[in-house]
Amino acid sequence: MAETTARVVLSGGFSRRYTGGVREFQIEAKSLRGVIKELDRLYPGLGEHLEGETTVAIDGEIHEVGYLQPLRQGSEVFFIPKLEGG
Amino acid sequence: MNDIAPSRYKWVGTRPVRPDGVPKVTGRALYGADLAMAGALYGKVIRSPHAHARIRSIDASKALALPGVKAVVTSADFPDHKFEYVGPERVAQNFWHIARNVMAREKALYEGHPVAAVAAAGKSVAEEAAALLEIDYEVLPHVIDVDEAMAPDAPLLFEDMITRGVEPTPTKPSNISKRLEFVIGDLDKGFAEADLIVEKEFKTAPVHQAYIEPHATVARVEADGQAEIWTTTQGHFGVRAMTARLCGMPIGNVRVTPSEIGGGFGGKIPVYLEPIAAALSKKAGRPVKIVMSRDEVFKASGPTSGASMWVKIGAKKDGTITAADGVFKFQAGAFPGSPVMNGCLCAFAPYNIANARTVGYDVVSNRPKASAYRAPGSPISAFAVESVLDIVAKKIGMDPLKLRHKNAARPGTTMIYGPKMAHGGYVETLEALLNHPAYNAPLGKNQGRGVASGYWFNGGGESSATVQVNEDGTVVVSTGSVDVGGSRASMAMMAAESLGVDYNQVRSIVADTVAVGFTNPTGGSRVTFATGMAVVEASKKIIDELRKRAAMIWDVDVDGVLWEDGQARPASSNVGDFPPLSLKEIAAKKALTGGPLTAAASVNAGGQAPGFSTQFCDVEVDPETGKVTILRYVAAQDVGKAIHPSYVEGQIQGGVAQGIGWALNEEYIYDKSGRLDNAGFLDYRVPVAPDIPMIDAVLVEVPNPAHPYGAKGVGEVNIVPPMAAIANAIANAIDRRLTELPMSPPRVRAALDDGAGD
Repeated sequence: MAETTARVVLSGGFSRRYTGGVREFQIEAKSLRGVIKELDRLYPGLGEHLEGETTVAIDGEIHEVGYLQPLRQGSEVFFIPKLEGG
Repeated sequence: MNDIAPSRYKWVGTRPVRPDGVPKVTGRALYGADLAMAGALYGKVIRSPHAHARIRSIDASKALALPGVKAVVTSADFPDHKFEYVGPERVAQNFWHIARNVMAREKALYEGHPVAAVAAAGKSVAEEAAALLEIDYEVLPHVIDVDEAMAPDAPLLFEDMITRGVEPTPTKPSNISKRLEFVIGDLDKGFAEADLIVEKEFKTAPVHQAYIEPHATVARVEADGQAEIWTTTQGHFGVRAMTARLCGMPIGNVRVTPSEIGGGFGGKIPVYLEPIAAALSKKAGRPVKIVMSRDEVFKASGPTSGASMWVKIGAKKDGTITAADGVFKFQAGAFPGSPVMNGCLCAFAPYNIANARTVGYDVVSNRPKASAYRAPGSPISAFAVESVLDIVAKKIGMDPLKLRHKNAARPGTTMIYGPKMAHGGYVETLEALLNHPAYNAPLGKNQGRGVASGYWFNGGGESSATVQVNEDGTVVVSTGSVDVGGSRASMAMMAAESLGVDYNQVRSIVADTVAVGFTNPTGGSRVTFATGMAVVEASKKIIDELRKRAAMIWDVDVDGVLWEDGQARPASSNVGDFPPLSLKEIAAKKALTGGPLTAAASVNAGGQAPGFSTQFCDVEVDPETGKVTILRYVAAQDVGKAIHPSYVEGQIQGGVAQGIGWALNEEYIYDKSGRLDNAGFLDYRVPVAPDIPMIDAVLVEVPNPAHPYGAKGVGEVNIVPPMAAIANAIANAIDRRLTELPMSPPRVRAALDDGAGD
């Protein structure tokens, strides 16, 4: 899997706690694992929050957060608070 | 991934007999309360009679002295938990709250809140013991209504609750647990571009999921710490995890078997009785069975939130929506966690609106903790948004379906939380109704037609399945998904389709927590999509194994064997001239070729497509009594590919029926002391058959390419539009705008006397 650059956005306000309000990033990664790892390197503790308390939308499609989701060049990745279902 | 062309489907899209039908119609299906176990004690939960009270002390000595009483538990028998919100399940949870909801500690926060429980030799002994418990309460002021709970001088449920999501952090506590905000574009610019602006306030009543089967459970905890639980639930793996944590047991010590379920609709995802029964059983050394009465179901389980809302929409004369704004205040009940975020995210989701904002408040009050109810949150905000849209359409003289069509979200539309919509399906539901022959049918006096739309995310997530081929060629499919809406049939159909065998050869079951891999609860319209994927994956593994076995029998390379129409065939004449081998023939030689034919698959399914529903209804209002009669109801829904169309139609009809109840009659009525006055089906009026016409379910099939058969979740979005559709129909019938649910006869009468039109 080749490295790609993804546009990553933290949606829903929790960025204040970890990034001082920075919401948008360009990150080189092959998969969601790489995105989480890089964000955690930049903002320690953010990775655990993303893994435990968010859902992710990759190019508009909602996924449970998992390491294996692949990214393509220019993918848009939005981390949003967990959804409730019934 | 649609690797099997629709024209080749033999079972998907057909309507075979449901595997759970015979036991249900003959009364032999075993529901939660049906399990009888030798030596089981009768468990009874003692509940707070007060809406809000400090528990000063509980003295169980007299109760324990009563012959036949085997155990009493209070909060002291459960471990306490750190105050923190934790994952990694789909919903962030705070066990400090959950433990207190299962058994009150410092305070009782609603009428019906458990404060103790008794296990005794029989019902009468348990009731006598309950009367002997000495509980010293300090009764506190209470608050029920969401607006009153947000007032600065409201009685506080938690004296240290500081609102999350507000900058700077408030210094004073309140009942507001959380504030959320989602925004795109420039609201001021958007409203400045509008030729017309409509804004209105709305209120909805909390409503119960109203499942027919009450909560029921049996727990047996052995001396070695091994626990078994039989219960009615939408998710037995969730029951296992919650009970283990709340009782301080390792997950591996708890085995949970789900019963047949008599409705859940989201309300059977939380645990209520299971940890209590387990704690009683551990203390008593015998199995304990607890069954809720209907009164307890109403007072201490569910419901969904009531809400107070404000919505403002601006549009141009040509119908283009330029801006939309909304504030949504949801009752969470006694503990934080209403579905207000969903309400905020879904409110404007069907539309392409460049400038939009939603603000949400999660507010606690002295009512049972809200739990999920069918598309939780979305129907509430849709009632407000879709009502305002109707007024906009009327004011600019545009057909309400055409207004929605002009502004419809399509693939590529930016959602309010940032991403671009990946899937279509909404426009198709609008067009289905625009082309429906009844949409332009004439109406009579006091009659009106109303339309509304709705959005729901649908779910994916973790699911597991096992497929076994028996020696006679029959197949068993086991999954971890409780069958609420027909999943045993759809799983069997997808397995039959994938394997190329007869549907009637496949037995589909729901396996307990030790017999199949972890599976998320049946909720969020996720099972056909996610568990279906697991079944197809397991079936593919079985096919690979069957090809290997055939290759062994023919003594050829496995690459030379194809699986086609349920048979192994040589891939070409170069492989050899072998007659096809059926699944049955290969199964008969399983011992010779390597042993049992079993495959398991687990997935964390993503790429689910959202659901859209658009509905119209015709109503007639009796001007003397205010009674609203539904004359016609048509519901179009984007269902992806309907695996079993009858079940899909049933889901749509069920969702609409519940929506009709929410719209017209259902509400909680509290007395001045905060006690519920209508905790039973006689006074809490759900729709009955004469209230509802035959609901015309229109299946719009826009397949989801992320699923092997194109499936989308279908169980929830159908309950989103009805409240607004009916309100809009009433407005067109009597020229009065009703903004508060339920639109019961007294409210309609009052609107006729004093109300205003659009």
